[in-house]
Amino acid sequence: MNPDQYERLQDLFHAVADLPLDARQAYLNEHNIGPETCQELESLLAEDAATNHVLDQDLLTATQGFVPRQLGPYRLQRLLGEGGMGVVYLGERDDLSSLAAIKILRDAWLSPARRSRFQFEQRTLAQLNHPSIAKLYDADTLEDGTPWFAMEYVEGLPLNEYSNNQNLSVERRIRLILEVALAVQHAHQHAVIHRDLKPSNILVTASGVVKLLDFGIAKQLDSTGDPTQTGLRLMTPAYAAPEQLRGEPVGVYTDVYSLGVILKELVGSELDADLQLLIETAIHADHAHRYASADALIRDLQHYLGGEPLDVRPPRFMYRASKFVRRNRTAVLASLVAAITLASLSTFYTLQLRRARNEALAEASRSSRIRGFLVNLFQGGDLAAGPSSDLRVVTLLDRGVAEATALANDPDTQTELYRTLGGAYQKLGRLDQADSLITKAVYGRRDVENLNMLALLRTDQAKHDEAEKLARESLVLARSLHPPGHLAIGRAATALGHVLEESGGYDKAVPVLEEAIHILSQPGQPASDLAAALLYLGNVRFYSGKFDESGRLNEQSLQIYRKLHGPSHPLVAEILINLGAIQQDTGNYRQAETYHRQALGIIEPYFGADHPKTASTLTLIGRALVLQKRLDEASGLLARALVIRERVYGLNHPQVASTVNELGTNALASGKLADAEEYFGRMIQIYEKSYSGKHYLIGIAKSNLASVYMRREQWSRAEPLFRQSLVMYAQTLPPDHINEGIGRIKLGRTLLRQKQYDSARTELEHGASIVAKQANPSVSWLDNAKKDLAELSTLKK
Amino acid sequence: MRPRGSINTTPLEPSVLNETFSLAYEELRRLAVQVRITDPRATINPTALVNEAWIKLAASPKFSWTSPLHFKRVAARAMRQLLVESARRRKALKRCAPLITLDESLASLLSTSASSSEEDFLRLDEALHSLAKLSERQSAIIESRFFGGLAVEETAQALGISEATVLRDWRAARAWLGRELRSPS
Repeated sequence: MNPDQYERLQDLFHAVADLPLDARQAYLNEHNIGPETCQELESLLAEDAATNHVLDQDLLTATQGFVPRQLGPYRLQRLLGEGGMGVVYLGERDDLSSLAAIKILRDAWLSPARRSRFQFEQRTLAQLNHPSIAKLYDADTLEDGTPWFAMEYVEGLPLNEYSNNQNLSVERRIRLILEVALAVQHAHQHAVIHRDLKPSNILVTASGVVKLLDFGIAKQLDSTGDPTQTGLRLMTPAYAAPEQLRGEPVGVYTDVYSLGVILKELVGSELDADLQLLIETAIHADHAHRYASADALIRDLQHYLGGEPLDVRPPRFMYRASKFVRRNRTAVLASLVAAITLASLSTFYTLQLRRARNEALAEASRSSRIRGFLVNLFQGGDLAAGPSSDLRVVTLLDRGVAEATALANDPDTQTELYRTLGGAYQKLGRLDQADSLITKAVYGRRDVENLNMLALLRTDQAKHDEAEKLARESLVLARSLHPPGHLAIGRAATALGHVLEESGGYDKAVPVLEEAIHILSQPGQPASDLAAALLYLGNVRFYSGKFDESGRLNEQSLQIYRKLHGPSHPLVAEILINLGAIQQDTGNYRQAETYHRQALGIIEPYFGADHPKTASTLTLIGRALVLQKRLDEASGLLARALVIRERVYGLNHPQVASTVNELGTNALASGKLADAEEYFGRMIQIYEKSYSGKHYLIGIAKSNLASVYMRREQWSRAEPLFRQSLVMYAQTLPPDHINEGIGRIKLGRTLLRQKQYDSARTELEHGASIVAKQANPSVSWLDNAKKDLAELSTLKK
Repeated sequence: MRPRGSINTTPLEPSVLNETFSLAYEELRRLAVQVRITDPRATINPTALVNEAWIKLAASPKFSWTSPLHFKRVAARAMRQLLVESARRRKALKRCAPLITLDESLASLLSTSASSSEEDFLRLDEALHSLAKLSERQSAIIESRFFGGLAVEETAQALGISEATVLRDWRAARAWLGRELRSPS
């Protein structure tokens, strides 16, 4: 058969396929179709009628069998629709006889990311509370792990259908769009971009209320969102903004575009010049020329309806955009400052120095994203304010700096912006930029706040003397300007206390922080300032070994944070972890376990069961259990942490290897040698892959595996592994490293047991000398070496 | 009569195709194995796999210029090839490997279709090759919908044809393929 014949056969097929049998025959006769073609056609028609065709097993339908009739209190009535992620059913509550739309995630097992996206939609709905956005009623998981949630069932017509059916005037249509834009703006204020606005997602009920549906591909502008959610997914091309179609970063202006297209469709061709200009601005291909926010669109829609001139003017548009920040600078500053307060809070919440640093950075970059988003609302620009990288935030900050520089004729605002932006850079660890800006701010105005800021920066730069000098200047200034007990004095004292804490001047820090706490405890002072000072003093007490006192201070700040942020905020969890660390260090492992479990109770639901934070908290509990000698329980938790890390980082990531190592160590300690052997074997594999065969961690892994063989007294298997690990240390570690010392002592024991006395002595002596040189010589290894050397001496005799 | 001549299938330029194809192929392969390890009893739904692969890959700068539809279209082809290769290998092996292999993980995918044997599946692939010689468009439609799980609407957009044509072609191609598969080879 050739394509032409095939096509003719097909035309014939389509012509007769839907005819009754006798009509078919008549048609074939009438058109003089030969017997050969007839036969061929017959076989095609037979296949057409067949029900067990391979293509009919469209696998999608096969997986839908699981849907039960009843979900929680809801009885499923009928299928409402389906999308890439899930299916939506109409459900009825038996007890209340009310209706709800039930969304069920299909193929939940496919990946944690899939589940988290689904949960994200659910969280988005829970977070938004607006008459024009469908509400979340209920959420749960089926026995097989399939998540579902119930939301407001909206009975209505799609926006365009409603408008046409009701034969609405242009003005009424614009008012409907205005309603939609207000709902979108509400979402934007909660850092949610809808990304899939289209008439079929916007229903109008019989009473004329607009309802916005389907946040299934919405995007949250903070780091708890799914980092893979950049660009577009399954949106509808007709309403998608150009940047979205190109897969570029999206922003609030992306929703503005979709609103513009919907408006254009809705009002048809009856446009006056102003409406034309408004629509053109909303759907400008270059988002830099578009309305920068739903808010800006709303204002012009209202202007238009009120017969007032629009904000937007084609030739002056760019000018207006640049003036905008100036006119609204209080608002811009308010949003920046609010975000900074949030960021600076986060520097306080942890005990270990290094951890404090890292956590603060993580938290700060999150806050910066939120701030980035807020700034975006005001000024637009080409930033997605998305959760993907700090780079974007930095770009945003760079833009802010350019803006600030341009404000030379408004030095007050300029100084404030410099400080704010400098603080943001500092939180992101970009200390050079922070330095230049904060120095400028101090140069502009040498006030308490700016001096505090510069002092804290100098601390970050490890310039402790200068930091202390600045902080003391700030405190003196605060005392000279303000009456005793003033907030400014409290803040300056807090800053000085922190500076002293970081430089290790714990004794000097105590009275300063105590004064700060005294001032900030007075009624009317901001609780968040007090909580910060309490935590700093808690750190100081912890470092100077006053664990009880530190515990008390942490408890106090815990109460404040609970009041400020509610009982389930991650900050609360961080303090619980501090409290756990205190108990762990004082040997109250059971108490430590309790605190860490409480922290897990917050972190797991907040970040999700598959989040690395959940994994680290599990690990902390696991360590507390190890010290209680509850090794099996510990292994259970560590195994859970392992599963999470494997999912998050992949099977062959160093993060995974470190958990594997802990599991191996546990197995070795509880005498499960086969398990230990397997864990350490895997650890070697991962490290060899990750570091292309050269890293001291490979040495450690081999040495650990060798320890298993030692325990089994398989000396000849242990020996080569110890030797390999020593070779690795020699290549990757400075000479006389503790690892080398321990490795030689272990190798010495192995040689001793194999009766190679001379080489055993050499290794043991060499190893012991290395260990003895360490700042904190590990007594147990030295003892081991001495014991073996003693044994050697008796053998010699 | 319908217009003849060149069929407006979204052109899959060799250079772009190669890169997108191989990345899609690798990602689908990885996902299939991963799902299998996580839950050995899970049935694998190609539509979900393709969606998942896109979600993973879209974040990569390499895909910043790829539209999801184009990706799905390419992924459909990658999926087909993945399944064919797996079927070939399993036909050759016909014995269980000691560890979970890609082929085992894909087996569940094949076994949910009516043709539970590798043989049937390979014949479907062959028949699709024959169909492509008669109508490239129909073969593209079957590939997109069956292997990539594209909806009718998406298929129409991806191939630049109307939804009516997709439905009409699907029906005719389905009948033709069914006959090919049933006739003794």
